[in-house]
Amino acid sequence: MKLFEYQGKAVFQAAGIPVPESRLVPCTSASVAVIAGQVAEAVRELTAASSSDNKPAGGDTAIVVKAQLDMGGRGKAGLIHVARGPEAAAEAARTIMGKGYTIPALLVERAVSIDRELYLSISADATSANFVILASAEGGVDIEDLAKNRPEAIRRVVVDPFRGLQGYQSRGLAYDLGLSDNVAKQFAAMVEALYRVFRGKDAELAEINPVFITTSGELIAGDSKLIIDDNSLYRQREFQLAREQFDSDAAYEAAVEGIPYLQFDGDISLMCAGAGLATTVFDLVNYGGGAVANYLEFGGPNYQKAQRAMELCLKNQSSVILVVTFGTIARADVMAQGIVDAMKLLKPDRPIVTCIRGTNEEEAHETLRAAGLEPLLDTEVAVQRAIDLAAARKGREKKDGRA
Amino acid sequence: MSIYVNRETRILVQGITGNEGAFWSKHMLDMGSKVVAGVTPGKEGQKVHGVPVFHSVARAVASTEVEAAMLFVPPRFTRDAVYEALDAGIRKVVTIADGIPLQDQIQIRAHAQSLGAQVVGGNTSGVISPGASMLGMFPYWIERVYKPGTIGVMTRSGSLTNEVTAMVVRAGYGVSTLVGVGGDQVPLSRFAEFLPAYQADPATQAVVIIGELGGTMEEEVAAEIAAGRFTKPLVAFIGGRTAPAGKRMGHAGAIVTGTTGTVASKVAALEAAGALVADRPSAVGALLQQAMQKAGHQ
Repeated sequence: MKLFEYQGKAVFQAAGIPVPESRLVPCTSASVAVIAGQVAEAVRELTAASSSDNKPAGGDTAIVVKAQLDMGGRGKAGLIHVARGPEAAAEAARTIMGKGYTIPALLVERAVSIDRELYLSISADATSANFVILASAEGGVDIEDLAKNRPEAIRRVVVDPFRGLQGYQSRGLAYDLGLSDNVAKQFAAMVEALYRVFRGKDAELAEINPVFITTSGELIAGDSKLIIDDNSLYRQREFQLAREQFDSDAAYEAAVEGIPYLQFDGDISLMCAGAGLATTVFDLVNYGGGAVANYLEFGGPNYQKAQRAMELCLKNQSSVILVVTFGTIARADVMAQGIVDAMKLLKPDRPIVTCIRGTNEEEAHETLRAAGLEPLLDTEVAVQRAIDLAAARKGREKKDGRA
Repeated sequence: MSIYVNRETRILVQGITGNEGAFWSKHMLDMGSKVVAGVTPGKEGQKVHGVPVFHSVARAVASTEVEAAMLFVPPRFTRDAVYEALDAGIRKVVTIADGIPLQDQIQIRAHAQSLGAQVVGGNTSGVISPGASMLGMFPYWIERVYKPGTIGVMTRSGSLTNEVTAMVVRAGYGVSTLVGVGGDQVPLSRFAEFLPAYQADPATQAVVIIGELGGTMEEEVAAEIAAGRFTKPLVAFIGGRTAPAGKRMGHAGAIVTGTTGTVASKVAALEAAGALVADRPSAVGALLQQAMQKAGHQ
């Protein structure tokens, strides 16, 4: 579960990591004018509350307005603006909201005056079974690019998962980045605080990019990227799935249900059991020139959820639902029955192609035949059938359009 | 023969009195696996399909010899259960749990490595040597998938394993040992860590790996081949060639992050090392025949 910047920064702040002063403006109003007004109000509050250190004589406090959405490269996309004063910030908000993205909230922050930027992250290394801290004196850049082009600019500290982070490691990292005196001390403290966040919140990734060093020598988190391990949510109750973290209603509902689901914009809905098989069918559809509307995997513990799975597929404007399974624990007969029952209940308006194999497949095929479905046995044949059906519908629509 | 588990392996089942534990223990026994003890705290003295149940692993190993532990334990209790097995001296542990917290997995793997133990899973069906023994949940009765033979199979997936292994059988072969390392971000044991056993196993003539996008396990296999430490024929199928970056394709571990985990990188590494890579399951059979003939096998 990927947190939004403002959520991550709240977690950081609670752990003692300095973050810029800010106000959050949730974009609950449909009116951009109302949102812009709220942004202006937030700026007035921030200005009043602050003993401004970046206020030029007679000028307005510099403010950053940042769209809160799960997307890299927000700056380049014009979703982050610097403005001076309430009116300019409101104008920035109007510009951002006019970009055509779904934006759940705007973060209004007091700008800091920046001397340098650093990079800092903590993640898990699956191969060595350690936690790994990465840091660089060249922050604010894409770390993947840096790793590729100038790997020597990245420092790596390996943390034993039982011993934990040692003081010499965080200190050493600070000095290795070329920091000194008070800045080095602040950085070591920031590393330790971020490690506490990473471990305490069951994070997959805790990243601060950039870490600002201000002109007055203070360290402050310029951004946050905090991904909480989905498998740990049962013991991290403060983090709950929310609609705004997903790109469609279907994706959100699937996540709540625990059904792996991805939204695409093609016309073939996948309803497969087994993640690896679903991914393979996804490839085969693409190889064959088809286009996937949604990826949905209802295997494992979800194999009795055929009805829910079909409902989610029907939320898409797809032309066909392609069911491919080869289950063991996920019994073929149970899944076939589930699909037939779901069809009776949901009366799908589009054809369903089935290729259901595995435990008790003979019974499964009887069930499908009795319901008027043809039980296919070969994955590639089923995929081709779905592609043909989708193409045929496209052809019909074209013809209707001309007539 | 086989690797990891054979006819003689004495197996303890943790969570044997639960629904899944009892159900699959029966199948393990029916296939001929030597399930000698079970553990469920509070249920000592009971029997499940004739297998005696103990309160703890320590109490079980005090009364009977055990070589491998099979866990039917929910993900949130898996770390505890694996440590319990390791602390009782067991060095082969298989967990099927789907949803083990990531940081628990890091600790389990680190601890197992420090002991030289091989913990397999989670999010897997387990390990099976068809016709001999299994640790996990496989429909071994489906002959077109689980036919005994000479091909080692390693996989990150369940249903896809059936799909691909059926192609191996259709091409005229069978399976020596199938190891499901599982679909998680942190598999507790990794593909390459089984290659020495497959290399040493006289009954394994070739290995098929069923990989997918995400992580670096396939690249590690390529490195072992390139280094000359694994010399048997190897055929791979890797799913997710057309998957978009940054999207998690069903499995926790099936995700491209930045430049790591792309199928292109895996295919390039394996092919450079001399392995054959299928672009679809139906191509596995022919490639396997080709690799076997080149190596002088039938």
